[in-house]
Amino acid sequence: MSQEIESRIRAALRPVAPSEDFSRKLLARVVADRPGRPKPRRLLSASARPLAWWLTASLAACLILAVGVRQHLEQQRVQQSGLEARRQVLEALRMTSQKLNLAYQAVKNQSTSLTDEESGV
Amino acid sequence: MNGGALDLLDDELARARAGERAALAVLVQAHQRAVYSLALRMLGTRDLAEDLTQDVFMQLNGNLTAIESNKHLGFWLRRVTTNRAIDQLRRRSRVQMTSLEDEQAFFSAEDDADPLLQRHLRDLLSDLSPPARAVLLLRYQEDLDPTDIAQMLDMPINTVKSHLKRSLETMREKTLGMQSARCEDSST
Repeated sequence: MSQEIESRIRAALRPVAPSEDFSRKLLARVVADRPGRPKPRRLLSASARPLAWWLTASLAACLILAVGVRQHLEQQRVQQSGLEARRQVLEALRMTSQKLNLAYQAVKNQSTSLTDEESGV
Repeated sequence: MNGGALDLLDDELARARAGERAALAVLVQAHQRAVYSLALRMLGTRDLAEDLTQDVFMQLNGNLTAIESNKHLGFWLRRVTTNRAIDQLRRRSRVQMTSLEDEQAFFSAEDDADPLLQRHLRDLLSDLSPPARAVLLLRYQEDLDPTDIAQMLDMPINTVKSHLKRSLETMREKTLGMQSARCEDSST
């Protein structure tokens, strides 16, 4: 019985041929990929790949550092110009205050002399 | 394949390794039937089988220098085909049903046995787990020894034997069940 089922399975599993169309396409495809056609070469060999990685990483780090430094300097420049502007505003206010004081003094002196003249009369 | 044919194919292999297209074509023609049949019965549809067959032969292109003889080539092709098919089946959530169009693809030109029984046996085959299916196909379609199958599938020999034993028992029981049902149908 075991042999019977085995022979039945063998009969059911006889190898089948692919269609002629597929067979032709397969042959064309496989053969077109040969013979000894040089495979696309990598730009770098396997041993050079870690070095390239380090170079790329270093370049990226340098770029990030340069951008950081530039931003820091720009920030400092803006801060300095802000301080300078503040200083100028304060100076202007001080001068205005001085002028106003002078004007006030002048007005005050003038009104004092007028009062004296009127009382002398 | 007899010894003379094997020697001839060994020569073709040497020439193919040297880059001769015609020799490679001979090798593809000599092995495509086995690769396609394995792929078809593992995966269940003609489209998937054709894709896998093509992938296997394209992979061969990159590994031709590592192939030592025509016998080694046959072993390599069957191993790659079955392992890739098992991987595909494991990725697939469910087994695809065979379409009516594909059903014809399972029959060989020299089939003269009971087509209903053959269909039934192939259905039973598709119910097996992928590794058990691969073992059964390599044993009864490719006529390989359990030792070769174990080596091909990286499987202990006892696992191969137990797969064969269990699969045969299941198929025998279910085939007997089908035949008795048919006898009852014909008697009524």
